[in-house]
Amino acid sequence: MSDRGLQDLVLRALADAPFRASREWQDQALADPGRLERFARFLARHYYYERIVHFFKYSGALAPVTGRRPEAVLRSASFDALLATAVLGSRETARAVASVVVRDVQAATPSQPIPYLSDLLSYERAMMIAEAGPRVWRETAQGEGGSGKGAPPELVEGTVLLDLAYDLPAVLPRLLEPWTEVPQAPSRPVKLLVARSPHGRVTVARADAAVASVVELADGRKTLADLARQAGLRAADLEAALAGLADLGAVRFTTGS
Amino acid sequence: MAPLMVGAFYNPHLGAELVRADGIDHLAMADPPAPHDPNWPAIHQRYTLLLHDYLGQLSEPLDERSIARARTLAELYHTPWVAEHFQCLHTEDGRYNINYVFPPLYTEEFLRRFVANANALQARLDQPLVMENIPGFFDVKASQLPEPVWLRRFFDATGAGFLLDLPHVWLEAHYRNMKPAAWLAEFPLEQVVELHVAGVEQDADLQGPWIAPAEPSVEMLDFLALAVSRCPRARAVTFDAFSPSLTADTLLRSVERIRGAL
Repeated sequence: MSDRGLQDLVLRALADAPFRASREWQDQALADPGRLERFARFLARHYYYERIVHFFKYSGALAPVTGRRPEAVLRSASFDALLATAVLGSRETARAVASVVVRDVQAATPSQPIPYLSDLLSYERAMMIAEAGPRVWRETAQGEGGSGKGAPPELVEGTVLLDLAYDLPAVLPRLLEPWTEVPQAPSRPVKLLVARSPHGRVTVARADAAVASVVELADGRKTLADLARQAGLRAADLEAALAGLADLGAVRFTTGS
Repeated sequence: MAPLMVGAFYNPHLGAELVRADGIDHLAMADPPAPHDPNWPAIHQRYTLLLHDYLGQLSEPLDERSIARARTLAELYHTPWVAEHFQCLHTEDGRYNINYVFPPLYTEEFLRRFVANANALQARLDQPLVMENIPGFFDVKASQLPEPVWLRRFFDATGAGFLLDLPHVWLEAHYRNMKPAAWLAEFPLEQVVELHVAGVEQDADLQGPWIAPAEPSVEMLDFLALAVSRCPRARAVTFDAFSPSLTADTLLRSVERIRGAL
C-alpha cells in the first residue's frame, strides 16, 4: 500500500468509529489505540461543534428565550452515546446529531412564544443533514461533468423540499440582530428547497410550484418530456426550473452506464 | 534583524475593537471577510494583512479553482506572504474528512508530494509561501523520518519559509516527555519567517493540554522569547487565536504580553 493509502487508513480510523473498532484497522497496528481513540473523540466533538454552531445559529440566537444553547448537547450523554457509531461527515451521523439537538431545544419552555420553533428546527436540521456526505475537494482535469442537456435529471442525495407553516426567510435575518421581543415569522405556508453543491456549499431557496414539481418527480428515469407532461410545465419553464436546480446542486443529469 | 511585527488573527466578532486597537501591527486572515462586515473597510485600510486561509492540502496538487482563490485573496489583502499547513486531513477520494489540521506521514513519498505541490503553488503565487507545522497527538508507525528532519528537507527543496507554531512544538514535546527547548532545537529555525503563539488548555477528551483560544502562559512567553532569539529571519509574531469564544480583552492583553516578552 502507498503511503497516501496508509494516510487514508489513519484518517478513516479517526473519522469512522465502526472502522476503528474493526479487525481490519486494528491488525494494521499503526497507532496506539488509546491515543487514537482519545483524538478521535476530540475530533468528533470539534467536528459537530462547528456544524451545530453554524447550522443551528438561529436557535442559538433564541437561547436567551429558550434557555437552550444547541451546542450544549455536545457534553450530553445523548451525544456521547453516538460516539461509538459516529462516522464524521456521514449523512446518518449528521441526522443522529441533529436529532439530538432538535430534541433538546424542542423540549424547552420558552419565556416568550416562538410559534415557528418547530419549523425553525426542521429547517436547521435539514441544512445540517444536506451538508453531510462526500464532497469534491479538487476539480479533476476532466471537469465535474457537463450540463447533461437532454439527459434525465435526478435529485441529488440530500436535497430536501421543506413544507413550512411559517415564512422563515422573512424572520431569520432579524434573529441575528439585537432584539428584546422575539421577532415573529408571518404565518403563511412556504416551500423551501435545501440543496448542496458538490463542493459542500448548502443553499436554501424558495421553491415555486414548478421547482416543487420537478423535485418531486425527478428520479433519473423520467425524460424531460415525461417531466414536462407530468408536472404540467411548458418546455421553457421546465428548462428554467432545471437550470436553477442544477446551479444549486439539487439535481444532476444521468448519463447512463 | 528587522523589528518584529506583533499581531493577531482577525476575529470578525471583535472587528469594532480591532479597528480602534493600539499596538497591533498585523492581522492574519483565516477566512475571507464577510460580504457585509461593517468593520472590514477600516481593517483593510489600517492593517498589514496576512493570508492564512485553508487553500488546500499539498499532499495533492491544488486545482485551478483553489489557486485562483489563493491569488484573489492574496491580492485583496496585499499579503507579504501566503501561509499553508503541513496537513493531510481528507482522504484522496473525499469520503472521509476530519475537518481539523492533521499532519501527513513523515515519509519520502509524502515529502516528494509536498515538495512538488508546494513548488507548483509557489510558481503561481506572486508572494512567498510559508508553511506551518502541525502537532501530532500520536505517532503513526508508518512514518519514516523525524518531523524536524522532514521539515528541513522540505524547506531546503522548496525555498519556502517556515511558519513556526510554538504551541504545536510545546504540545508535541509534552506528549513525548521531552523538554520543549530540546525539541524546538531540532527544527530548522533559520527558515522561520513568522511565529504563532497562544495558550493551551486541558481537554477532557484528550486528557491533557491542547491548543486553545487562550492567553499564553508565562512559560509559553518565555518559550517564545527563546525561539525568537534563534530565528534570525523572523519578521512577525502572531497571537494564534481564532474563535467566536475569544474576547477582546484576551486578544488585546495577549498581544500586549507577547510584545512585552520580546
